[in-house]
Amino acid sequence: MVRPLSLLRPLTTPLTAPTLARRSIHLTPRLLLATPASTGPQTIKSGPTKTPNPKETTTATAQSEEQWPDYSKGPSALDKASQVLFFTEIVRGMWIVLEQFFRPPYTIMYPFEKGPLSARFRGEHALRRYPNGEERCIACKLCEAICPAQAITIESEAREDGSRRTTRYDIDMTKCIYCGFCQEACPVDAIVETQNAEYSTETREELLYNKEKLLSNGDKAEAEIAANLQSEHFYR
Amino acid sequence: MSLARTIKNIRQAGFKEWFRSMTYIGDAKFGRHVGTDQFGNRYFENLNPNEEIPGRHRWIDFSQDDFNASQVPPEWHSWLSHIRHLPPSEDPIVKQWTPTWKAPFVENMTGTRGAYKPYSTTAPKVRAWEPVVKPRVGSGSGASPSA
Repeated sequence: MVRPLSLLRPLTTPLTAPTLARRSIHLTPRLLLATPASTGPQTIKSGPTKTPNPKETTTATAQSEEQWPDYSKGPSALDKASQVLFFTEIVRGMWIVLEQFFRPPYTIMYPFEKGPLSARFRGEHALRRYPNGEERCIACKLCEAICPAQAITIESEAREDGSRRTTRYDIDMTKCIYCGFCQEACPVDAIVETQNAEYSTETREELLYNKEKLLSNGDKAEAEIAANLQSEHFYR
Repeated sequence: MSLARTIKNIRQAGFKEWFRSMTYIGDAKFGRHVGTDQFGNRYFENLNPNEEIPGRHRWIDFSQDDFNASQVPPEWHSWLSHIRHLPPSEDPIVKQWTPTWKAPFVENMTGTRGAYKPYSTTAPKVRAWEPVVKPRVGSGSGASPSA
């Protein structure tokens, strides 16, 4: 028997020369083996379903005559063998590397130059104030409720003038996943994430922010925060 | 970068500026001096794509020798990060939203004595029991003090 190949995968279309040329030398046999032969039932018959007899179905769709690809057109076998044996793809890839070597690099020299950030960039948190200096947070605890990492802890009390304010607003920045849900949940735009990402610390304790730290973040960056919110106000 | 650009930028910026930029940025850059912040950091811009690669067209010359990225104040940070189109000295929106109570900017002080140290902003909920001993009165016929 000289037809084991067509038993595995019958050739429905004759292999053309470009199809063969695209295949690499180590992929072809596995690709043939990975494609299942169409040995299942071809039509639906009435009555109980019977398992097809392999003796009948194995060669049902196999073509009676062998079809071999036509190698008379296209690149010669010597050309294809030379491309395979001399690794021309690798040489072409290395040529692209060589071209890039003589071009100016696209490296951005951080921290002198910085990559573009969005006005919606979510970085370090800050608590904002109203333009008259009154703090915005009203201790509604929506941010604490929505925080998926449970990084926010809030305790509230009535202030001397009777307004409800937070006495504790802690964010564990080591827990925070910077999803931005807190600033989306906030009804008064009090908790925001600023564009500052350069707040790395030497100790873990310095990342446990309390209310004073968050308010001072907002006091420093209020102009940047307000300008960003103003530029995004069409979409909010 | 090309040799012609380097020579051209040296001639435009001068030897001193070229030496400074080679010391810090490591590239002979030259551009329009956009502004200076309150710490003396200078900000430059060169929008000519033949002289600067787009993406490297805004840069900062730190005034401190021990520079780091957190020394950029927030308004200039948003210009340097390409968030705002105009520098804060010209941006009307940034000027409009700058509050009167704006706190002075400090860089990231981690690793120094000025580093932030977390503390609780509330009174402690749990207090340790502090026993109050009532003073003993009378009763001279108790246990002898020598026992």
